[in-house]
Amino acid sequence: MLVVRDLVEFGIEFVPRDLYWKTTYYAIQAEKCGFDYLWITDHFNNRNVYVSLGVVATYTDKIKFGPGVTNPYLVHPIVTAQAVCSLNEIAPGRVVCGIGVGDRTTLNMVNVPQSSPLATIRESVKIIREISSGGDVQHKGEIYNISGARFNFRVRNKIPIFIGAQGPKMLSLAAELGDGVLINASHPKDVENAKQFIHQGVRIANRDPSEVKVAVYTSFSVAEDPKKATKAVLPVVAYIVAGCPEVILQRHGISKESSAEILAAISHEKWKDAFSRVTPEMIEAFSICGTPEQCIEKIRNLLRIGVTQFVAGSPIGPDMRRSIALIGQNILPTFR
Amino acid sequence: MEQAVRRIPTSLWRTASEGIIDIILNSSNADNMPSDLAKTILYYWQRDQLATEVGLQRLLEAAMRLEPEKTIGFVEELGLPELVVILRQSAKA
Repeated sequence: MLVVRDLVEFGIEFVPRDLYWKTTYYAIQAEKCGFDYLWITDHFNNRNVYVSLGVVATYTDKIKFGPGVTNPYLVHPIVTAQAVCSLNEIAPGRVVCGIGVGDRTTLNMVNVPQSSPLATIRESVKIIREISSGGDVQHKGEIYNISGARFNFRVRNKIPIFIGAQGPKMLSLAAELGDGVLINASHPKDVENAKQFIHQGVRIANRDPSEVKVAVYTSFSVAEDPKKATKAVLPVVAYIVAGCPEVILQRHGISKESSAEILAAISHEKWKDAFSRVTPEMIEAFSICGTPEQCIEKIRNLLRIGVTQFVAGSPIGPDMRRSIALIGQNILPTFR
Repeated sequence: MEQAVRRIPTSLWRTASEGIIDIILNSSNADNMPSDLAKTILYYWQRDQLATEVGLQRLLEAAMRLEPEKTIGFVEELGLPELVVILRQSAKA
């Protein structure tokens, strides 16, 4: 039997839709409950991720945190490096940088295309690494052209970079370059599938597989009443199914027609209709939800296949404070 | 709020602080929370001092700003009639 208790780390994801003091309240609670990582999403239409993290840095002492994930299309990698390195001054050794190609929906709102994603991520990671390690950045690439950029301040330690990845090529690249890979998945089948491409990237870079952390971002919802947990996760699952590539739908035996129906309902803002079309199979495929005991079993299934960080992502539960407390009291101790 | 909090027996501090936190976090008037009061509450929360006399003072102050009726109802449920009277007076003032 695989012993996971010494390997696994636990993260939590917050979306800064809430007032800053609520997000910070939950961050303090997450730290007290024993979470290792806090990831805050980066979308221009929510509160700024670095402002949110700056407050979190001030009111926490141990938990590691970072953008989860930022994207180089809206934020130049030099500015991302500046932001995470500045945060690192407030919370030395606790900052991580999550970067990926971003969310297509919000990028479309500002007409920013996700062009050349592999080159953009590859060059971004290189630039962030170079400038944050104190060097002069001289970079002439396909995407960026930088001549002699450097910080006027010292960065005391390395900032680990986690790369958000979905498709085969990006997963491979993430494993080739990243200190960690962030996968959006809640089901072992999807993680198993992703791991083959992660192994590929590790081989290309001739790295030791243990150098690359594998974090799974799940759609998570826990409550003492499983019906309430499920109800809270329904909207998230509806959105996932609506935007899910056909190959992933097929993997879970979900028809593209049912996905299209949910997408159509969402597009027409018929929320009740959209959510009523979410089936138990969809919830099983795209979320981890239920009572603490049910969630523990599902988390175990993910850890068995080599996940090193389990991230409890949105919605966390029907009542954020109570759900974080349930995780801290009933779930994390099982794995410690 | 200093006088008000003294009406809460020590044995109820934990229950009171958790109940009031729920009222604050779930309030639809959360926008009305003054930033300095929010920061004071976070300061006490980080130091595990919300279930203390000073922590409860700040929590009650916030809850009465955001949700006076719900707060008074919660205090009634706790069985603290003297505190209910004080809070009703402060709500009128």
